[in-house]
Amino acid sequence: MPDYGHDLLFGTFVTPSVSPAHHAVDLAVTADRAGLDLVTFQDHPYQPRFHDTWTLLSYVASRTERIHLSGNVLSLPLRQPAVLARSAASLDLLSGGRVELGLGAGAFWDAIDAMGGRRLSPAQAVAALEEAIAIMRQLWAADRPGGVHVKGDYYTADGAKRGPAPAHDIGIWVGAYKPRMLALTGRAADGWLPSLPYLPGGPSDLADLNARIDEAATSAGRSPSDVRRLLNLNGRFSDTSTSLLNGPPDQWAEELAGLTLEHGITGFVLATDDEYATELFASEVAPATRELVAAERRG
Amino acid sequence: MHYGHALTFGTFLTPSARDPGQVVSLATRAEELGFDLVTIQDHPYQPAHLDAWTLLTWLAGRTRRVTLAPGVLNLPLRAPAVLAGAAASLDRLSGGRLALALGAGAFWKAIGAMGGRTLSPGESVAALSEAIDLIRARWDVTGEGPVRLHGEHYHVDGAARGPAPAHDVPLWLGAAKPRMLRLLGEKADGWVVTHQLLRPGQLAQGNRRIDEAAVAAGRDPREIRRLLNVSGDFLGGPGEKWVEELLPLVVDDGVGTFILMTDDAETLERFAGEVAPALREAVERELPGAFRRPLRRAAVRARRREGIAYDDLPETLADTTIEPGDVGYAEVRSTYLRGGAPGLVLRPGTEEEVAEALAFARAHPHLPLSLRSGGHGISGRSTNDGGIVLDVSRLDSIDVVDPARRRVHIGPGARWMDVAAALAPHGLALTSGDYGGVGVGGLATAGGLGFLARKHGLTIDHLRAVRMVLADGSVVRASDHENPDLFWAVRGAGANFGIVTSFEFEADEVGDVGWAQLVFDASDTAGLLHRWGAAQEAAPRDVTSFLLVSPPRRGRPPMAHLMAMVDTADPETILDRLRPLAEIGPLYDQSVVLTSYASVMANASPDAHDGRGEPVTRSAFAEHITPEFAADAERLIRGGAVYFFQIRSVGGAVADVPPDATAYAHRSANFSVTTFGVDRRRVDAAWDRLAEHVDGLYLSFETDTRPERLADAFPPATLRRLRELKAAYDPDNVFRDNFNITPSTTKEPTHA
Repeated sequence: MPDYGHDLLFGTFVTPSVSPAHHAVDLAVTADRAGLDLVTFQDHPYQPRFHDTWTLLSYVASRTERIHLSGNVLSLPLRQPAVLARSAASLDLLSGGRVELGLGAGAFWDAIDAMGGRRLSPAQAVAALEEAIAIMRQLWAADRPGGVHVKGDYYTADGAKRGPAPAHDIGIWVGAYKPRMLALTGRAADGWLPSLPYLPGGPSDLADLNARIDEAATSAGRSPSDVRRLLNLNGRFSDTSTSLLNGPPDQWAEELAGLTLEHGITGFVLATDDEYATELFASEVAPATRELVAAERRG
Repeated sequence: MHYGHALTFGTFLTPSARDPGQVVSLATRAEELGFDLVTIQDHPYQPAHLDAWTLLTWLAGRTRRVTLAPGVLNLPLRAPAVLAGAAASLDRLSGGRLALALGAGAFWKAIGAMGGRTLSPGESVAALSEAIDLIRARWDVTGEGPVRLHGEHYHVDGAARGPAPAHDVPLWLGAAKPRMLRLLGEKADGWVVTHQLLRPGQLAQGNRRIDEAAVAAGRDPREIRRLLNVSGDFLGGPGEKWVEELLPLVVDDGVGTFILMTDDAETLERFAGEVAPALREAVERELPGAFRRPLRRAAVRARRREGIAYDDLPETLADTTIEPGDVGYAEVRSTYLRGGAPGLVLRPGTEEEVAEALAFARAHPHLPLSLRSGGHGISGRSTNDGGIVLDVSRLDSIDVVDPARRRVHIGPGARWMDVAAALAPHGLALTSGDYGGVGVGGLATAGGLGFLARKHGLTIDHLRAVRMVLADGSVVRASDHENPDLFWAVRGAGANFGIVTSFEFEADEVGDVGWAQLVFDASDTAGLLHRWGAAQEAAPRDVTSFLLVSPPRRGRPPMAHLMAMVDTADPETILDRLRPLAEIGPLYDQSVVLTSYASVMANASPDAHDGRGEPVTRSAFAEHITPEFAADAERLIRGGAVYFFQIRSVGGAVADVPPDATAYAHRSANFSVTTFGVDRRRVDAAWDRLAEHVDGLYLSFETDTRPERLADAFPPATLRRLRELKAAYDPDNVFRDNFNITPSTTKEPTHA
């Protein structure tokens, strides 16, 4: 039974709409005040209806107190990895250790290409992501000697100075579904961040995907529990239960606790732009889920 | 030599990563001290520094007033197309406080070590030039097609335009050498240079190079602000010495901004206290009246329309006014349903500014003048082509001044969803329309046929007084006691008489309400219309419903969508009231909730208006929905000329007010009927066939401009009185935008 034993995180996935400018900020502040652990934004720099996600994350960080923040996920092909690493460290320092780095290998290649980004095949994009992760980790390791040296096929750092070190160990979370990306997640990432609606078989798909990550982690000499498993969710609160995550909060709690205990999911990120749903997720679902999981783990 | 820029002061702070709190507190302290600008140097390869963009954005969240700028941003490590979006975001998040200062790059070895591209100085200038074009193109959402730039250094092919920043973000360049200065003169809005690094005479020489390049590019050198980084300390010396040294830099070299390079709070304090004000005074003494608002860029001026004295705008309006070349233009040119291309959009923020804006507009009597609050007007032309729009959306305050007496003061630019949200915590509501995005000004001067109409009357029936700016610029209050004639006219024909700057309403106590949305098969269209009309007329006053019938389409029958509000929180009563309405036809779908008026009104899209073309609508009132009227309405709906047909129930409390008590006279009607079509002639021909069943029209829903419509809008006695008042209050017919009532003393227009 793959419960990797992490504490549970509850967060939201908020649309980074550019108009009204503070729409996403206000929802993030709601999530922060409601006591959620995490607020995340998708990143599509070619989409004029959305804010630039790094800028939005930085602004939201300055307007919130406790909540952690992450891209969900950042589009690596349009972000320079060494600059991104230093930006992430900077925001982590400014925010008192509240930044996590959700990363994607890239999608929507036509749009990336139209913006002047480099078009890569899926295999190339995975390799590029792994190089980028290596650069970022080296750059954050400020106390190690020498400069950053990664000579990759897609990204190179040749003697860049290390630092600043972030305020805490920034988690690199990867959105992955296919074997190559899952293997990379197991080898190199701190977290896995898929979306439930993208799993054709629903939650039961998680078993196989988890197994691939576990295997890759183990063969890289890591422990499967080095990779936190998070999950983007869609759902609806209603009085009567109709389907998965469509019903009252106590139904949600049972279903989420099931995902933790059966599939090791310990980060639940709800896609919502609704204040009420955000508050309900924080005030009812999160504590009830935590209680159920704690009871079972005490077992 | 000066360029007419008002003197501003900035700081240049070290983004030290060791103690991030320090730079943040220095920035907020600088804002408190009155500095205008905070700049942060950018060296992305420097591990002792925080990332400048991240820090600037953080500071945007911790400051309210200062302009924020990198000092300057290292372009080679930032993709310009992405940077354009990031800058637009930061400008929007900060409320228009970004200045984008760019550098071509330096420290190439460090850039290379980070994985950046190493360029020669010449290449880096060329790359910067391409980047400027790219950034401006992504911001220009009114431009044609997507962004394409096939440059030597950047290749962008089909990137979407937008988002636009919140304001015309100035592009400044850090520059010292001739090639950069030339580029700056051609394309940029500001020159950032460090005093310590200049030889004597180099500032004047640089200015000359920039000015020559600007003139050669068809620009005015005054478009370009000169910003000088200065350093030094007081060393116990007095502030006067600084003033003495800085003054010639302003008077002789045209410096418009001094950026103080220090991380010492005390130096900031002394500079703000002793140097800045004294220097401002000295400059004003040396160059009295020389400083005006900055010129808009040549590219912006090139899009100006003829016949508008753009440069004569009063100072107070200049900052908020939008002209065709401005970044905000795309969001203000059109209205909800109508495309437009005005030459100038004035956006006054106070009553005094409304008067000034009106005076400016009156100095252009040959141009159309449109008044706009929320920009939803169907009849009112709140945009135009080449004329002036007076947009009061910034007058959007909502104050519950006396909850016990339910008195509320509301600005004309507030939107009804915001009004509903602001009143709800007090247990109050004001009936409005059916869409929360509608502005207060237009609706509250025309009538206001809302979901609480039958219980509580029209919106204008809640009006107790207005403050308004009249055609001659005077500000008056009108109520039952002050200027009662004007108060009478405002309630139904307000747009002809002036610009209301504040509405004083008496709101109603409204708790939770029942809200139903029912969808019917309307195959038996006439039967359904007739049954609904009868059921609605028989219903108690706490029920107000609107019926929307959509024509048959692609094999599906006509559908009817009923929206009903029941003004009670008692579920039993709600269901009792809804039952007869639910029985008017075969139900496809239904939803009934207990909710607040504010929730029902919170239904508007947050997007800026982007209407195209001209709406084609007709409006009328009916006493009853007789079988004959219903049959003719069915013919209209099925006839193909219209795509939208809505009937709103009125009556009830609306009819308690005598028809001559306000300029809105259609008190006996139980129904307001509206249709939308595409083709003017087809719609008019089809609609005119309903004439025998209907009477009058609702001012706000009619777009037919044939002269007889005025007589439909106002019965003879009302129209006579309105013409007399128009002669008294607006003899020159300045306000002619929405159902123009020509003054009775002027000659009737001669027919050609």
